[in-house]
Amino acid sequence: MITFEAVTKRYRDGTVAVDGLDLEVPAGQTMVLVGPSGCGKTTSLRMINRLVEPTEGTILLDGTDIRTRNPAQLRRGIGYVIQQTGLFPHRTIEDNIATVPVLTGWTRKKARDRARELLTLVGLDQGLARRYPHQLSGGQQQRVGVARALAADPPVLLMDEPFSAVDPIVRAALQDQLISLQAELRKTIVLVTHDIEEAIKVGDLVALFRPHGTLAQLAPTETLLAEPADDYVAGFVGFDRGIRRLSFVRTTGLNLGTGPVLPADATVTKALAAGEPWILVTDPQSGTPRGWADAAKLAALPGDTPLGQAATEPLSHAFTVGTDSLRAALDAAVLSPAGLATGVDSDGRVLGVATFDQLRAAIQAGETARGNAARADAAQVREVPRP
Amino acid sequence: MWSWIPGNASLIWHLTWENLKLGVLSALYGLVLSLPLGIIAARLRWFYPPVLTVFTILYAVPSLALFIALIPAFGLTDTTVIIALTVFSLCVILPNVVAGLRAVPAAVTQAATAMGYGPLRRLVTVELPLAVPVIMAGLRVGVVSSISLASVGQLIGVSSLGYLFIDGLQRSFPTEIYVGLVLVIVLALVCDLILVAVRRALTPWLART
Repeated sequence: MITFEAVTKRYRDGTVAVDGLDLEVPAGQTMVLVGPSGCGKTTSLRMINRLVEPTEGTILLDGTDIRTRNPAQLRRGIGYVIQQTGLFPHRTIEDNIATVPVLTGWTRKKARDRARELLTLVGLDQGLARRYPHQLSGGQQQRVGVARALAADPPVLLMDEPFSAVDPIVRAALQDQLISLQAELRKTIVLVTHDIEEAIKVGDLVALFRPHGTLAQLAPTETLLAEPADDYVAGFVGFDRGIRRLSFVRTTGLNLGTGPVLPADATVTKALAAGEPWILVTDPQSGTPRGWADAAKLAALPGDTPLGQAATEPLSHAFTVGTDSLRAALDAAVLSPAGLATGVDSDGRVLGVATFDQLRAAIQAGETARGNAARADAAQVREVPRP
Repeated sequence: MWSWIPGNASLIWHLTWENLKLGVLSALYGLVLSLPLGIIAARLRWFYPPVLTVFTILYAVPSLALFIALIPAFGLTDTTVIIALTVFSLCVILPNVVAGLRAVPAAVTQAATAMGYGPLRRLVTVELPLAVPVIMAGLRVGVVSSISLASVGQLIGVSSLGYLFIDGLQRSFPTEIYVGLVLVIVLALVCDLILVAVRRALTPWLART
């Protein structure tokens, strides 16, 4: 656990980078520090491993004032990942990853074995072990940076804009990897970013900074979207926060209708009898969706024509009931020619379709439940006792 | 007239060796002095400009004048020549040490600190290795110029290939001058090639160019 107690950083020219910051990062959680440039988020991060010393206030790591620790010793127990990777150009990938284990006295052999394990952990081929950093792509280098930070298995990981220098596709892959690594390792992570999307995606808790180093809001990610503390937070989070919040609402309880769903071997007559403007045609064997048939066009066909022979329009995408969020379901409805979201099970079999009205009902139900949960969470954050 | 060469082989060999010794030792002393000065200069902003000014002025002093200035203290000895040549090679190596250390990316030194390197260990195992290509470029110029300048030492009686120039001129015997000239150039080239090989061995991470 990392605790900031009234921490201020004032530079000699009078600039205040961080102003009376109180912050608690619970063990095993990911805290994202987010805000505009110059808001003190990076300074705050770098005070944790004493790259920057606070002017006033105290930072505690698991209850111990970090000023009582030898800086080099302290840092060996805190992983550090930065945007520019900071890999050592003159060392091979395995020796880069082995840096902290070697500093703490492991034998080179043992440290290199550990480095190879970590290459696998971050999704890289062990064949890269003997390469030099400049021989790797930006995304690969960033993965090596994460592996290097994890090498000595530190309980705390500091990440300063770790994914900002790579293209969006690589960034998304790196974020997904961080989320799955964190699910496995449960480190205490502090991650700095200026990208609110990234904050919402990877964070358990978000600390949103105002310019000049004060906190605008500290809250669990969902609460930040549901209940922004003020106009500054709402503005920073963005006008589509309502839709983004739906990412947190599961589709488990959604009511699905099966009226417009028919297998491809059903006849046009049967489809028209359903009285629906669009018919979702499914595969008779697997139950997977084939596409939407327009009832107006079906009416022009002979009544005994199987639906499989009628023209259909693609449904864009379906959502998996239970695992996908309401955001995915809403997107499926928006993109569907029928305006209906197709829900499937984990095998891709159609379970039914949802109308906008049904989605709205689920959103409102989710909102009530979420609101209660979020208020409880927010109360908890405020009531964390001081050690 | 080329028969002069085999007839004086032992003299030529002796002079070549002396010239090599003067040039290489001076450049190495220059390197050894440049490293601490350069390390301090790369850290302290105010330290470098005055030091650089002093050495630039010294570099502007003609080599013969510097030898003569040192004679009262060190006499007509190897030491006089080596001190002067060390000063000259320091003038070309020091800026490279400073430039090499300053060119180490800030992200790399910051990452090293954040991973728990102390200042000395970081300097020795991260910063200096990364500065090697630039420092070696300075050392190459230092060695070549010292080998070439060492021949001037002959004017104050210190043995070097410069003997062949003076003797050849006095006896109007061009062969001797040509031999001296070729040997100075060959010595410089051979030392330079060795330094290129050393640099490559020290920097396996750099792509071969």
